[in-house]
Amino acid sequence: MAMTETKKMVAITIDGISNQVPEGTLVIEAARQIGVMIPHFCYHPKLEPDANCRMCLVEIEKIPKLQTSCSTRVADGMVVRSSVPHVESARKSMLELLLVNHPLDCPVCDQGGRCDLQDFSHEYTPTISRFTELKRVFPKEYLSPLIETQMNRCVSCMRCVRYCEEVMDAKALAPVGRGTMTQISHWAGNELECDFCGGCIQICPVGAITSRLSMYDFRPWMLKRSETICNFCGDGCQMTVQRKDEDLIEVNSTLGAGRNDGDLCARGYFGYHANVHPDRLQNPLIRQADGSFAEVTWEDALERVAENFSQIKAAHGADAIGGLITARCTNEELYAFQKFMRGVVGTPHVDSSARYGYINGVKALQRVQGTHRWTVSFEDIVEADVVLLVGTSITEANPITGLKVKQAVKKCGAKLITLETAVPAFSTVSNITTLATHHLTVLPGCFDVAVLGLMKALVEQNLVDERTSGKATEFARTIIAEVEKISWQEIQQAVGLSSDQFNSASRTLSQAQRLVVLAGQGVLRDIGGEGIVTNLLDLLILSGHHGAQGSGLGVLAEENNEQGAIEMGVVAEYLPGPSKANNDMAQATLSKIWGMSVPTTPGATMLEMFDRARQGSLKAMFIVGENPLESLPSDAKVSESLDALEFIVCQELYMTDTAKKAHVVLPAASAVEKDGTFTNTEGHVQPVRKSIEPVGESQPDWEIFSALSVLMDSPMEYGEAKEIFKEIRGLIPQYGLLGPTSIPYVAKADVVEQYLREGFKEDVHVRYALTKKILARDGALTLVLGQSMYHSGKFSTRSKGLTQIQDSGVLSLNPENATRIGVDDGASVRLSNGNGDVTVPVKLVDRIPPGVAWFPEHFDHELRLLFRVTVDERNHVPCWKTTQVRVDRVA
Amino acid sequence: MEPFEKILTKNMSNPAYTGSLQDYEATGGYQALRKVLAGVPQNDIVEMVKKSGLRGRGGAGFPTGVKWSFLPKDYQGPKYLCCNADESEPGTFKDRQLMERDPHQMLEGMAITCYAIGAETSYIYIRGEFRVGAQILERAIEEAKQAGHLGSNIHGSGVTINMYVHAGAGAYICGEETALLESLEGKRGKPRIKPPFPATHGLYQKPTVVNNVETLANIPHIVNRGPEWFAAIGAPPKSTGTRVFCLSGHVKNPGNFELPMNATFRDLIFDIGGGMRSDKPLKAFIPGGASAPFLTPEHIDVQMDFESVTMAGSMSGSGGITVMEEGTSMVWAALRLMEFFYHESCGKCTPCREGSSWIVQILQRIQNTQGRPEDLDTLTEICENIGGRTVCAFGDAEIAPVQSTLQYWRHEYEALIEEAEAVRATRKEKEIPVLSI
Amino acid sequence: MLLEKYKDHIDDLLSRYPIKRSVLLPLLNLAQKEEGYVSQSAMKEIARILDLTPPQVFETATFYTMLSLKPIGKFHIQVCRSLMCALVRADNLIEWLQKHLGIAVGQTTSDKFFTLSVVECLGSCGTGPMMQINDEYYERLTEETVGQILEDLKRTGDCALKSGPYMVPEPR
Ligand SMILES: Cc1cc2nc3c(=O)[nH]c(=O)nc-3n(C[C@H](O)[C@H](O)[C@H](O)COP(=O)(O)O)c2cc1C
Ligand code: SF4
Ligand code: FES
Repeated sequence: MAMTETKKMVAITIDGISNQVPEGTLVIEAARQIGVMIPHFCYHPKLEPDANCRMCLVEIEKIPKLQTSCSTRVADGMVVRSSVPHVESARKSMLELLLVNHPLDCPVCDQGGRCDLQDFSHEYTPTISRFTELKRVFPKEYLSPLIETQMNRCVSCMRCVRYCEEVMDAKALAPVGRGTMTQISHWAGNELECDFCGGCIQICPVGAITSRLSMYDFRPWMLKRSETICNFCGDGCQMTVQRKDEDLIEVNSTLGAGRNDGDLCARGYFGYHANVHPDRLQNPLIRQADGSFAEVTWEDALERVAENFSQIKAAHGADAIGGLITARCTNEELYAFQKFMRGVVGTPHVDSSARYGYINGVKALQRVQGTHRWTVSFEDIVEADVVLLVGTSITEANPITGLKVKQAVKKCGAKLITLETAVPAFSTVSNITTLATHHLTVLPGCFDVAVLGLMKALVEQNLVDERTSGKATEFARTIIAEVEKISWQEIQQAVGLSSDQFNSASRTLSQAQRLVVLAGQGVLRDIGGEGIVTNLLDLLILSGHHGAQGSGLGVLAEENNEQGAIEMGVVAEYLPGPSKANNDMAQATLSKIWGMSVPTTPGATMLEMFDRARQGSLKAMFIVGENPLESLPSDAKVSESLDALEFIVCQELYMTDTAKKAHVVLPAASAVEKDGTFTNTEGHVQPVRKSIEPVGESQPDWEIFSALSVLMDSPMEYGEAKEIFKEIRGLIPQYGLLGPTSIPYVAKADVVEQYLREGFKEDVHVRYALTKKILARDGALTLVLGQSMYHSGKFSTRSKGLTQIQDSGVLSLNPENATRIGVDDGASVRLSNGNGDVTVPVKLVDRIPPGVAWFPEHFDHELRLLFRVTVDERNHVPCWKTTQVRVDRVA
Repeated sequence: MEPFEKILTKNMSNPAYTGSLQDYEATGGYQALRKVLAGVPQNDIVEMVKKSGLRGRGGAGFPTGVKWSFLPKDYQGPKYLCCNADESEPGTFKDRQLMERDPHQMLEGMAITCYAIGAETSYIYIRGEFRVGAQILERAIEEAKQAGHLGSNIHGSGVTINMYVHAGAGAYICGEETALLESLEGKRGKPRIKPPFPATHGLYQKPTVVNNVETLANIPHIVNRGPEWFAAIGAPPKSTGTRVFCLSGHVKNPGNFELPMNATFRDLIFDIGGGMRSDKPLKAFIPGGASAPFLTPEHIDVQMDFESVTMAGSMSGSGGITVMEEGTSMVWAALRLMEFFYHESCGKCTPCREGSSWIVQILQRIQNTQGRPEDLDTLTEICENIGGRTVCAFGDAEIAPVQSTLQYWRHEYEALIEEAEAVRATRKEKEIPVLSI
Repeated sequence: MLLEKYKDHIDDLLSRYPIKRSVLLPLLNLAQKEEGYVSQSAMKEIARILDLTPPQVFETATFYTMLSLKPIGKFHIQVCRSLMCALVRADNLIEWLQKHLGIAVGQTTSDKFFTLSVVECLGSCGTGPMMQINDEYYERLTEETVGQILEDLKRTGDCALKSGPYMVPEPR
């Protein structure tokens, strides 16, 4: 909102240079705009002015005292002087005073060489200090395994504390004590518990807060930097990877750069070593007769693969071969993979990790709006006046999108409605639900009903937008009739929420000027996920927000390139574009550009491929960076399926359980070792840049594909990733634009119109039918495998930084349940159900609702046996993240 | 000096007076409140207080009526009155007496103020150490509520006024009005950047008036006897009314003495205070609390109104007069005050935080005969670098003792430093600075 | 557990302010009264009551010098050492107390009865030397009266010499 109002311009003169700036601009900003840099410590554009360091004093005409330019707003005709002797001497003295209690230990300070205090001192102060007294010395305090504080260096600018509260909303850092004895700490000597976003380290202008991950490993000027994109979640944060020779030293981000605008999360800031764990595969491997792997040359390995694929193709046809790839790969690699499978091998069976749920979201968008992308941008989230979150666990799953929501609420006063599993409970780990105007606690698996509740409340309070009900009469009438069939009792029974709760939420929702809805894993990974997203779009339509400026729906990608995976066509039902796999025109264009024939039938999805393997119709699989064996519970029969295959190729960073079953294992290069592009969840195509050479013999996936294609006599010859990108660009116009400019997609009017006339009917009864919920039998709890904010899939569990925050799974229980079970922090419990039992340690966590036992999916190894997979009929999404368990304490 | 009528301490000067509601009403208490609630337009009261010339007694001496008039007119939504009862300025102990001996006088003043500015809720921020005072106020508020002077629909006027006592927990800076507001909001007592001022963005960012205990205690009398009466007392036109001066230090009879503002320091220190208790001559006095620059015997006939004291190069600040007899070390005195300021700096601003710690250490060295000739210039410059460059007036306050003692008693500093030099000359070893705070 | 014991009082406090955090100082003072100091568990509970994080409670607690974060003696003797009291020999009083109690400033007697602190101005400069012991002020002190006070407190937990409603000079 703040951003939408157009500000009146005023005239200001700084050091003789005149300029027009928007009313209310801070003098220090106005100065920067005309190239006058005013030294400062406590000022930061992301933070409310605090004017405590007094470094930015300037002279303003007609005001007797010097003023702090960081807190003074421009007035029309203001005349400012920043370089008159009076001001210069004030700066000198400020620095002299700041150094009074500073240890001057620059030689052993990681900030040395990029320290504001050093730079300003160098610029403004004499070389000798008059201070000859004793310095205040703080005893060293241990804060955390990753964040180091050296409080004798602190200049008390409070930027870290203010960032932690104002931006992250964690409130984990505190200024402790008073006067010169003030130091930054957590509380009462306890070890730091927080989001570990690293923001305090990055925002500290001196060396008072540094990273222990790279402590004493470098001097800033030894570092080489490359701008790239984080390869953990779908937010697609821009980051600078800094290396010394071939070692990754640190990651940081730049204010104003990327979709993250300089913010990062724990994974982005501390997780980068996941790419270069010592266990990385260094050479191609071929399985020997005795079952062991032998290191071989690339030639041997690739020939073996080409041979086997060709033989099987000859003997059983191309569609005896299937391909599965991870959505963590670059667009270029994903594209090359499906081209290899469809064009070179000639099989329609291609799928990727987008199958785990994201596909549900994109298909709903396609169906209702005719676009596979968000119709809103991060900017729209910030400017929204109402934001609705449904099953997102946003601070864990998509922390930076979460920051946009926090910003909307905290800085711009937006109202927040959360349909989430977490309950509002305050701790030093941020929790989006504490910011909610309306919070409705929804257990996993119940989001569909919760959405129906919202819809029913909208309908019953006559909040349905007239223009819509006027235009789309039948659509409106049908849905109104549908929700009226459902009774509040039924809803209450299913989700334990009252009509009042839904009513007040939907009132707020309907009053929105700019309404942004975000749907996360809780929706996308669930049975009927596409239907739930479709219903959310129905909600936007009926509340009159659909298609309105700044309003719309976004679906949140868990992995960094799920959006890209679908646009590159690495899912069974889509060709690049994405266009439907059975779309003749698309097929024609492709075979023309590729000079290869393209399969005409839609392929098999991941689980279908496994079924076919067990039935014997699928003989070989090419699995790239995916680890289904560890991603799915045993009843998905992945193990049996793989055993049934004649030939398996795994292309991997690490020797996973799946790879252990392969006949040939090919070492792939990690995201920091190659160039390419990722497409973030919001639809921004962003450049990935190489910072170190591939480890050992490993190679970028796309190079491996093109090498194989040559050996299989239908070469896809690319000299570098850029050439693949050119080809993609030719096929998909949206890839004409790289980088930060946001062009939110607009719904295609004709598609919407068709949906409102006919489209919705197809499954409206299914979507608006109340599904049965297995209510937890007394004594039993709902066990949930969820995403932790410190990890991303299993990939990040190899990061030496993140494992220092969380290196194993602990079961989170609501204190109330814990007391009933009779356990406290650190105790162990046995989880049991029909499928087996497992013993795990517990932790009491207020934000976990009663009746739920939450466990981080990244460490689900033993727990998986408790779960059973159910397959979504529409999109074959395997759903299995919740189950019912008995929880008993073990003595 | 010619006889005059006490205003604020009149009741309590009667030994039989207990400060109970009964006693207060017996002396005409709460008539002023009844009067205004009976239908005096709010703005008339503001105008009345303006006309009376009443100025803040907390330290800044800002015209009270003018301050009230800064509140946004016809503002919908809550406004607040905060009574500043933090009384932490060394040398000041009048508010404690006004609250503990005649609580209702202040409460009535607050009630009238609340009505005048349209505040339904008001808080009395009292320093945490004043447990006795806090209890007395709580009881008085309860009494007043019972009697219908406070609460909702007071005396059938439809006006609601609630008052709550809010105890601090030991921080001088919370006397600074914006720090007080921060503290009331449950935060660290750090002064806010101004503008915006409390009048528009005060407590909970709502329009707020902060007034000192003594200031508010004057209000009922002004209402009862009219602004003209008040404006004629003391040193019109600029410093009207009386002040309760706090006399401490080397005098025979220390204590709180209410005098019209045209009284002189001689009247207070010698006629009333009985002069130096040791009958040594007067050496120095602080005219307005620890934040006010020291004055010398030449200033003894200065009038104690705001202007005159300012003219004399100091300020009448909080009305605390501390007297020092011949033989008192001015370096030591400055050091003691500086240690106070060092201890109380909130730590927000670089100059105040770092400067106070530096100055204290230099003074300690000089005091311990380890001073150096260059120290005095360094002191002077540090003071200049603090003055006028901080968020709140604490910065200006903390340099007053050092600057003024350097101005009038520089030779005492020099003597100590010469002593140190002499010692150095004899034993050539390097001295170790001492830190003892 | 404060909430169990003082439910009504805390509800009343909460009703006085439009935002919960304003009740922080009152609750910290309450916690100190309850346990003699502000314990970690108290800060945790207060955070919970006020929807704050423990660091937010801690940063406030450490700003105010009256709040003690570690256990202290039954009686906390706080002697004013600021200039005005110093002019009337507060330093002698402090000296005397250290000797008499056999502890240095900042220490607690072995019997855990007395903790001795020196503090800055307590706002009774006209009646120095003075000290505060727990909630009470004791003023115009002499060695005799101080001895008396400590004795009484140790014996009865109270002392008649404490100040009542304050006025100097007392009217005659
Ligand atoms: C460092 C500092 C400490 C202060 N301490 C007090 C105080 O203890 N009591 C008080 O009434 N005013 C104090 N003041 C003045 C207040 O900021 C404010 O001016 C006053 O409360 C306004 O009330 P008045 O206009 O009635 O004087 C202090 C100011 C500063 C800068
Ligand atoms: S001047 Fe001193 S007391 Fe005032 S805000 Fe700055 S640091 Fe705090
Ligand atoms: S940057 Fe302006 S005071 Fe710190």
